[in-house]
Amino acid sequence: MDPVVIQPETAAEVAEALRQASEARTSIVIRGAGTKDGWGRPPSRIDAVLDMRRLNRILAHEHGDMTATIEAGASLREVNAALAIHGQTLPLDPPHGDRATIGGLLATNDSGPLRHRYGTPRDLVIGIQLATTDGVLSKAGGQVVKNVAGYDLSKLVTGSFGSLAAIVSATFKLAPLPAGSKTMRIAVRDEAGLADVVRTMMSSQLEPMAFELATRQSTQNPRNAQNNHDSADSASSALNVVIRFASLPAVVEAQMAQATAGLKACTTSIDVLDGDAERSLWEAHANELWDAPGAIVRASWLPTNIAAALGELGRISLVGRAAIGAGHIRIEGDTAAQAAVIQQLRASTVFGNIVIVRGSSELKAAVDVWGSHGTRQPLFESLKRAFDPHGVLNAGRGPL
Amino acid sequence: MNVDRAFLTELRAIVGDAGVLEDALELLTYECDALPHLRETPAAVALPSSAGEVQAIVRLCARMGVPFVARGHGTGLSGGALPVAGGLVIALARLNRVLDVDIPNQRVTVEPGVTNLDITKQVAPFGYYYAPDPSSQQVCSIGGNVAENSGGAHCLKYGFTVHHVLGVEAVLPNGDLVQLGGSLPDTPGPDLLGLIVGSEGTLAVVTSVTVRILRRPETVQTLLAAFDTIDAGGAVVSDIISAGIIPAAVEMMDSLAIRAAEAAVHPNFPDSDTVLIVELDGPAAEVTALFDIVVQMCRRHGATTIEVAQTDEQRARIWRGRKAAFAAMGRVSPNYYVQDGVVPRTKLPEVLNRIRALEARSGLRIGNVFHAGDGNLHPLICYDERIPGQSDAAVEVAAEILSYCIEAGGSLTGEHGIGADKSQYMPTMFTPEDLALMQRVRAVFDPQGLCNPGKVFPTPRMCGEVPGPYRRHPAEAAGLAERM
Repeated sequence: MDPVVIQPETAAEVAEALRQASEARTSIVIRGAGTKDGWGRPPSRIDAVLDMRRLNRILAHEHGDMTATIEAGASLREVNAALAIHGQTLPLDPPHGDRATIGGLLATNDSGPLRHRYGTPRDLVIGIQLATTDGVLSKAGGQVVKNVAGYDLSKLVTGSFGSLAAIVSATFKLAPLPAGSKTMRIAVRDEAGLADVVRTMMSSQLEPMAFELATRQSTQNPRNAQNNHDSADSASSALNVVIRFASLPAVVEAQMAQATAGLKACTTSIDVLDGDAERSLWEAHANELWDAPGAIVRASWLPTNIAAALGELGRISLVGRAAIGAGHIRIEGDTAAQAAVIQQLRASTVFGNIVIVRGSSELKAAVDVWGSHGTRQPLFESLKRAFDPHGVLNAGRGPL
Repeated sequence: MNVDRAFLTELRAIVGDAGVLEDALELLTYECDALPHLRETPAAVALPSSAGEVQAIVRLCARMGVPFVARGHGTGLSGGALPVAGGLVIALARLNRVLDVDIPNQRVTVEPGVTNLDITKQVAPFGYYYAPDPSSQQVCSIGGNVAENSGGAHCLKYGFTVHHVLGVEAVLPNGDLVQLGGSLPDTPGPDLLGLIVGSEGTLAVVTSVTVRILRRPETVQTLLAAFDTIDAGGAVVSDIISAGIIPAAVEMMDSLAIRAAEAAVHPNFPDSDTVLIVELDGPAAEVTALFDIVVQMCRRHGATTIEVAQTDEQRARIWRGRKAAFAAMGRVSPNYYVQDGVVPRTKLPEVLNRIRALEARSGLRIGNVFHAGDGNLHPLICYDERIPGQSDAAVEVAAEILSYCIEAGGSLTGEHGIGADKSQYMPTMFTPEDLALMQRVRAVFDPQGLCNPGKVFPTPRMCGEVPGPYRRHPAEAAGLAERM
């Protein structure tokens, strides 16, 4: 039977829907725009979907304080269009950011290249309103950027994937929109060259807005590919770095010049883009992994280990934050091959925190989506019992 | 239960005779933190030297039902390390090793007793620093910073402790050792690390901390501008933010605080109603361009003097005046009480005018030092405890200022914490439902209510601290019925 779709228009209706589900012991899945419907474990029975998209207002934009309080179902794109009127932005650019909602971003702590400067949703959220399965609305944090009163429950639901409570609204600190922006696309020869760029940039005093890796490797192990002179094959392998500077236009120029001089020795080419070309490049970069088939995992690594990380694995494409050591990896091949790579990543000493965010149900049956929670597992279980005693939230898809 | 002979015997077996203090004179040091008007004598103090010893001590406390309070270097300003009568203090000063310094990946792992400034000293030779800089950074411990989510003058641009801690190893109140976060980002699941940071020692005892360090900015520029009114200084701050400039720091001091700082450390501040300190840092091209804009803004709003620091020494002198302001109040008043409240930055002028009216009405002088960029006020309430009634009057004035903060949509505390000092005011900022949910989280971590009890939450305690599984509190149930 198809799940019932509930479309609350008020915070009280959200709380009431959770209370009823808990009382009736029926499963309920909280949903924004559905950009992450494929994330998580395959769902057990879903009795109801709580569609948050009618809760889509900006409740307050205090531009003098650079804060905004936003309902969970509002789309990031529409929020940022409204904030831009006062020259401000909620500086998040996750994959599928044209459709993603505020609540979904927080629940999954999703982010993109702007993370280099601004962090993830957990770094920007300063207050939250939650609905719990007992039908109660509660808040934590506040409306001010500096506040240490009480527990910061906005952190507790960040990454909870809708397994503990429903996010009704959240308050964020905002950033000013930069006056000017330019991007440099850098090609490097090999993994060692990539590592050189990472080290050079990280030890410099440059302050880019974004610092990205985009690597695409052929289906052969790259160590063997060096001996392969077939041009089509070498074209399918690429190691790129994308760096964006954004500030006053003159400052952007100065930083671009400084970066170019510093990186000349370790690159094969540097293209500089601005305006529409720059925008297109970032759009293509955001879609790079997602437009082709294959499983996609979240992954993290120590930034300067990037050469070892890429050297360890063939058949992967990686897009991520160079100086943070976090991003996504796309894995090609059939289910067995994908599962093998994921197990290899989890066993690796270079990579960590491997979570499947796109994969077939066969793949998810073969390897667990979330991996081991280690010493945190007992806490996760206790939290789940305390917040969702009847286990009605999120149909077993989440990390707890 | 209280510490007894059997407990002490087992405690000695864990940390040795030299790791246990129970002599009345030795315990004196641990009666309070830097909020000396709240005092309590613990039954004993344990001085563990390793995470394993901390774990064994907490296990012992859990088994015997003895309440415990973790303590760093005792510099907290909200009584967060106030002992429990009859309970144990776990002093972490001996866990002071630097475990790992990874310059290329910009990460440092230390034990909780390492001071904030020592982290920077470890990495400064390589051109790096640890960003959060509370005024007590020379002596405060990183473990205490994690407990309080400490800020500092530069958090407007760089954020708080929670933005710089990548992971902690911690002992839960049942004695389990957990790893939350770590060298690698993006631990899957709820952000328990973010929850622990700022939980004021009520959820766990941290035994190691991994922080990220930052590259020193290419350029730093600092100015000190004087104004005839606090409103003029406030208008400059508004203009800076409206222009999309995020300074590293924006600090304001009023005339009483200026006079006190002059008397104490002679920073050569102009004798004026208000001084504004603005610091910009970052790439040279950016700082130079934006600094000119800030100077113009100060001129436009009638700055009577503008001093631009030309040397590191000049900058250090300006900051010495600002950072000494609290202690300097001792030069102009026999006693003073430091309040910590937050208002939305745009409400600063309104709230400061209310504080000045309160000053006139109460007859107590109030100095104002604040982080203007993020609306964090530190009113310094002067009193003389020898004059009957003045101590109580000062406490009342401090409470009234907090009510202004809450009415303006702000917070009870920006960086000093709730601790034992402000727990009774929590219901002015949070509803019973809000507090019940926080208590529910507390009960998940600490079902026996042994880990720093009596802090953060108002007493009488709610359901959250009752042992056993979560049960609905009568007040919570009543709230629900009303809501429905």
